[in-house]
Amino acid sequence: MFGEHASFIIPSYIISFVAIVGMTIYIIAQHKLRKAELKRLEESGIKRRADNG
Amino acid sequence: MTTETIKPSIWAFANPTRFNTFASKAIPVLAIITFALLAVGLWMSFNAPEDYQQGYTVLIMFIHVPAAWLAMMSYAVMSASAIGTIVWRHPLANVSLRSAAPLGAMFTILALATGSLWGKPMWGTWWEWDARMTSVLVLLIIYLGLIALSKAFDEPSEAALPLAVMTLTGAPLLPIIKFSVDWWNTLHQPASVSRFDRPAMSAEFLYPLLIMALAYTAIFFTLHMMAMRNEILSRRIRTMKMQAARKQSSKGAA
Repeated sequence: MFGEHASFIIPSYIISFVAIVGMTIYIIAQHKLRKAELKRLEESGIKRRADNG
Repeated sequence: MTTETIKPSIWAFANPTRFNTFASKAIPVLAIITFALLAVGLWMSFNAPEDYQQGYTVLIMFIHVPAAWLAMMSYAVMSASAIGTIVWRHPLANVSLRSAAPLGAMFTILALATGSLWGKPMWGTWWEWDARMTSVLVLLIIYLGLIALSKAFDEPSEAALPLAVMTLTGAPLLPIIKFSVDWWNTLHQPASVSRFDRPAMSAEFLYPLLIMALAYTAIFFTLHMMAMRNEILSRRIRTMKMQAARKQSSKGAA
């Protein structure tokens, strides 16, 4: 499949896939970490000024 | 419709809390659109015929060209955000700028890597210091510099203005990249899609390329919105931690 240039085509798609999926996973993981941190802070009684009214 | 009715809705949306509420609803929709475009784009790409000159390596074009376009579009979004920071001093503009930089760097790396993998079988070289490749490499260096600058300040709001000014300083590189193939003699061919007359590419290659470009654009906007949401959360966490520390120190003083 892809003829004599398969060794150039397949790595191109693998690199693109790894970079985009990797970036997506990183951003989702960061979101989960920040949500957990925010929850921990709120549970310890710290509130944002906006929440204090 | 009067400006009075438009203005409040725009500025209401530009509030970080409202943005997060909007993003929570918009991200799943954007993700579905992205997956659909990617599925159609990849199906069309792998069903495109072999090019009479390039053979199957034309398949690299379907991911290389959109990556290169998005490398430039990300910088255009950052430049628009920089203007928003300088003119309106809006915090969301700075959030947008900071969140787009890593994505722009990723697309630039992808453009360079896939370009290199396409160049070797077609031109016989992995790299050539021609105007297009060199200017894209400079774009990557600018992205990395801006990411480093954004991390050099403890307080994100202090970094906003220098970051915006530095971003706009790099903006003239965009037309240089775009027209480098016309202004200098390079290995790259002149523009074959974005031309004033009809594209110099047959439909069987043009349509998959355009769908893949739309898919990459959707990837950018989805990830950009997700990254902006993270940046807002991290600023909120920072504010809360500072508030807690201040409370602690005032208790200690009493």
